[in-house]
Amino acid sequence: MEAQDKPGDLVQGTLDMLVLKTLSQGSMHGYAIAEFIQSTSNRALRVEEGALYPSLHRLELRGLLASEWGVSDSNRRAKYYRLTGAGRKQLAAESEYWSRMASAIALIMDTA
Amino acid sequence: MLLERVSALCLRAEALVHRRRLDRDLDEELTFHLAMRARDYGDAPAAEAAARRQFGNAARIREICRELWTFAVLETSWQDLRYAARTLARTPAFSIVAVLSLALGIGANTALFSLMDVMLLRALPVKNPQELVEFVRARPDGGMMTNLPYPVFEYFRRDRSVLSDVFAIASSSPVFRAGGISERVKVHEVSGSFFPSLGVQALMGRTISPEDDRVGAANRVAVISYAFWSRQFGRDSSAIGAGVRLSGERFTVAGIMPPEFFGIDRGQVPDLWVPLATDPDPGDLWVLGRLRPGVSIPRARAQLEPLFQQALESLRDDFKDSPERERKAFFSQRLLVNSAAEGTSDMRWSYWKYSSTLKILLGLTGLVLLIACANLANLLMARSAARSREIGIRLALGAGRWRLVRQLMNENLLLSLAGGALGLLVAVWGHCLMLGFLLADPLRIALDFRLDYRLLGFGLALSVTTGLLFGLMPAMRATRAVISSSMRSAGGPRGAWNVPLAKGLLAFQIGLSMVLLIGAGLFARSLRNLGAADLGLARDNLLLMDVDLAGKTPQARQQFWMDLTRRVPGLPGVRSMALAGDAVFGNGGWNQTVWIERPGQAARDARVNENLVSPGFFATAGVPILMGREFGEQDRENAPQVALVNQSFARRFYAAENPIGKRFGDRGQTSSGRYEIVGVVGDAKYGSVREQIGPMVFHPLWQAPAMASCVLHIRTVAEPAALARSIRREILAIDGEALISEIRTLPQVVRDQLREDRMFATLASFFALLALALGAIGIYGIVAYRVARRTAEIGIRMALGAQKSDVLWLIMRETLVLLAAGAAIGIPAALAAARLIKSLLFALDPSDPLTLACATAVLFAAGGLAGFLPARQAASVEPTLALRSE
Repeated sequence: MEAQDKPGDLVQGTLDMLVLKTLSQGSMHGYAIAEFIQSTSNRALRVEEGALYPSLHRLELRGLLASEWGVSDSNRRAKYYRLTGAGRKQLAAESEYWSRMASAIALIMDTA
Repeated sequence: MLLERVSALCLRAEALVHRRRLDRDLDEELTFHLAMRARDYGDAPAAEAAARRQFGNAARIREICRELWTFAVLETSWQDLRYAARTLARTPAFSIVAVLSLALGIGANTALFSLMDVMLLRALPVKNPQELVEFVRARPDGGMMTNLPYPVFEYFRRDRSVLSDVFAIASSSPVFRAGGISERVKVHEVSGSFFPSLGVQALMGRTISPEDDRVGAANRVAVISYAFWSRQFGRDSSAIGAGVRLSGERFTVAGIMPPEFFGIDRGQVPDLWVPLATDPDPGDLWVLGRLRPGVSIPRARAQLEPLFQQALESLRDDFKDSPERERKAFFSQRLLVNSAAEGTSDMRWSYWKYSSTLKILLGLTGLVLLIACANLANLLMARSAARSREIGIRLALGAGRWRLVRQLMNENLLLSLAGGALGLLVAVWGHCLMLGFLLADPLRIALDFRLDYRLLGFGLALSVTTGLLFGLMPAMRATRAVISSSMRSAGGPRGAWNVPLAKGLLAFQIGLSMVLLIGAGLFARSLRNLGAADLGLARDNLLLMDVDLAGKTPQARQQFWMDLTRRVPGLPGVRSMALAGDAVFGNGGWNQTVWIERPGQAARDARVNENLVSPGFFATAGVPILMGREFGEQDRENAPQVALVNQSFARRFYAAENPIGKRFGDRGQTSSGRYEIVGVVGDAKYGSVREQIGPMVFHPLWQAPAMASCVLHIRTVAEPAALARSIRREILAIDGEALISEIRTLPQVVRDQLREDRMFATLASFFALLALALGAIGIYGIVAYRVARRTAEIGIRMALGAQKSDVLWLIMRETLVLLAAGAAIGIPAALAAARLIKSLLFALDPSDPLTLACATAVLFAAGGLAGFLPARQAASVEPTLALRSE
């Protein structure tokens, strides 16, 4: 498939993980997810916002997210995403993997 | 993972059903995001732009999401195809030219492929054809013959080490009589092992078994072909057990073969098969065998060579009176073993004899395909240039380049498939056309055109390959266009249509057309020379009829021939009539060795051609008597043996001396002086229009043993074909059992001989015309494009005082350069190619200047006209209008 997106400085898998993590606090629409990632990271992670959507749709297709249409704070129709059971499991696996990787990298960076 | 896949598939399937909703939702979701972001930025127009910047390429993201949800490749392919079809339909002229030129190229090549397939490649419809081999004797002089002396078959039958089976075939053409009509039928006399070894079954009844093939077998059986069964028995099953008479001998029909069985010789289907043992003297045989599994051809050859030599050795006694040279030639022959999986090489050899035919056809069709491809590539480039704006816009809107290339390729694919489909139709027609040209009697030949999967595959592969190969480059170029510049001006940047490349391609195409034009010219002129060639005899109003009188006593036959020469000339419309052993433009007479003795020189023997003729033959044939006299009624049995010779004979053997009264023999010393030359006739061609006339000698028919068959030569007052009926009646009135066959006129025979030449001339002319038309369209297209681009420039030139003629010349110069470049490529290529067809050209030099001049003139006329039309348009430009249009 030709449509491999290039989400700025973020690797595909990492963005997926961040999305899952973000949604672990409850259901959100796309804009809120983008805002959350950017503000929480103090705008250190540069994300081309559009790239979020292919990621969301891909996760939804994999059954890790579910979606439904709701009404936003500003009284507009918006598509809300939430984690499914499979999504939770995936998030747990990825968090675990991530912390192991991060600590391993940190170990090397500190000692060497 | 699997579960994920399944759920994804379900979701996608759902999305497929609710396509609209998917699109709407996606739009709404993205719009929502942008609106929220803009609101956060403060809702000003600038905020909206900033939101968009922040978001990235929205169209592209929507496309990516859509593709996630849909069966993207499939769906977009279908969409592309529909889009491609619509785009092609919008420019019908382009599409028609492209499809037709492709159809022509592909059709011509597929037709040729099918022809070669039928002739050379298709395996025999028998059991394990790959095991079949045929035995061939190779003479020391390099000649190869499939007819082997009988003992070879006998000896090979003893081998059990490399061959699992051996079978032999002799052919004969006896007279078959039914319902008062006699005809010659083609019979294969086969050994008892023939049918079991081929492993074929009869459609009805049974085949010939080894028990049938024994001398003195109780019942002489025959197996008939499907065609013969249809013709003679109307497909009535009562044919089984029926009696048939072949030259008086009675056979019982034991079986009928299925229609697809044609024996082992693809070119000819026998009417009947009979056991070999029924013929007491079958003569030479075709011998074929089946190799044991795992035995290679070289091993079989090594194993059988000693047997072959023993077989030849057993004939030593037959050669004790032969000249030394002949004996030596016979006993130094070697055995060759050829694969016969595709049938005996009889047909293949005769076609390898014509292999120049196939090569030329291959060359012609290859040229056509190349031209079609060059034309297609140019058309596609022009087309993508015309669409550079559209492509630029689509690129700017975020379309992926690969996606666009794919779309353009879809159009190419559609074009080439349409071209291929139409090409198959052209192929069916072309196949029949070529076959009709190549074979005298296509109906009798079991060469069928079957649209089988290989043929379909070939045509399809050819069309797709050409489409993709020659479409990819234009598509890649088109999508590389610089976006901003292609949108800025309507005409597009200078690089939109790469004019030098297009011109190069066009010059190449014109060059190829030039090769075809020159080829067509050469073939046409050669054909004309052949048609007008001096044969040495009068061609018009000469009717030829083969008459056969098998199964009569010599006295009765001689009486019949004499009666014939007395009665036929009296018929109304007949000017004169004579008999000959061999027809003019038949086999060219028989070979004969003559023994020439001249005072003061060593006696020598020489090979000449010989024919037997009745009195009045030369007057009838229109051959002049140069010296002495023609044969008369006095030259009969018991009278002194006389001969006539042709001019070449006289010149070769007697030089300046008067040949009248000279004597020669025909069989060495003992025959010395047997014949006296009583006259010299003009040189005439007896075999073919192309032949080199050699020495020829004629003997009186009445001094030879009574012939079983003769050819009537009838010079008529008017159109000869109309007389055939009354002459036939007269012949049958003299003897009802006479067999009349092959009624033809001399012009027909000559025309028949020139079939191949006519095919080349016709095909080459046809192809050349089309190539010329394609080239002219190409020139028109490119010049018109250039004129459109240069309208402003032309306007300025005219405003500054350029005359119409200057503008005309400005534009025409480009056309002329293009044509000159084409001619510069084409003429040397044509000259090189013409050398390959040199042997086929009659009385014509392959570098014939007139042909070259004519071809060049035609090219420049057609190309010049194509360039002139847009040039005239350019010259009629109103300077003010042109300048304003900028």
